[in-house]
Amino acid sequence: MTGPTLSLPLAVLEGIHLNELINQLTSVLADSEASSDPAIERLVPDAYPEDTDASAEFSNATRADLLERRRADAVSVQHALKPLSTVAPEDLAGDEAIQEREVLIPAQELDAWLRTLTALRLVIAARLNITAADDEHDLDDPRFHVYDWLGYRLDGLVALADAHDEASG
Amino acid sequence: MSTPIATPDLDEVTDLYAAPLEPWQLVVWNDPVNLMSYVARVFRTYFGYSSEHANQLMLSVHNDGHAIVDTGPRETMEVHAQAMHDFGLWATVRKVPS
Repeated sequence: MTGPTLSLPLAVLEGIHLNELINQLTSVLADSEASSDPAIERLVPDAYPEDTDASAEFSNATRADLLERRRADAVSVQHALKPLSTVAPEDLAGDEAIQEREVLIPAQELDAWLRTLTALRLVIAARLNITAADDEHDLDDPRFHVYDWLGYRLDGLVALADAHDEASG
Repeated sequence: MSTPIATPDLDEVTDLYAAPLEPWQLVVWNDPVNLMSYVARVFRTYFGYSSEHANQLMLSVHNDGHAIVDTGPRETMEVHAQAMHDFGLWATVRKVPS
């Protein structure tokens, strides 16, 4: 079963980092039952802010399913990343780490990629207290660089996906 | 699915038909994280809206803080809300304000 595939250029080091970030996302998800976490709450927003009963009912019906989908998406992204992420950084010679490789994304897993990159940004934004688009970025905090880098890659992937739709009608 | 204890009487059925067809709205709210290109893509691919319409809705979300993305029966709006949450968008369901 092979369908259309998109190819996303990604440096080996980026693949390693992205894989590690998804590991962290997975552990945040694993703790979602244990305690209240604003990052998790952002992944399962309140559909009825003005109606407590309807809000609870909607949450009961959707929360577990949504969080499970984040886990499932994470698994498929990490699967596609394997050719890059299984490389040990210390085994990379010279500028090999920053050389771009093509990550192959089956078209039917494109949404899983878009949703995972989005979920990572939402979680990081919650950790960084980003509440407005023009919030000052503290450039000494490496998490802002990670957040911006994910935004850059997500925007590129959206463009790639839109072009793919255009071409396949 | 549980078995109904009694058959609903005809009056209730009539009431259902009398209910307004489109009393609920799906509202998507602006947030500082989601990219404009991504939000427009979600509106286009999920709802099947044209690029123009999807883009217009995205700009309403961005500029006005929110947009009514769809209107219809409550259950349908809830399905859409869950789908929007799945994509990381902040969506709520509400009755059409009278």
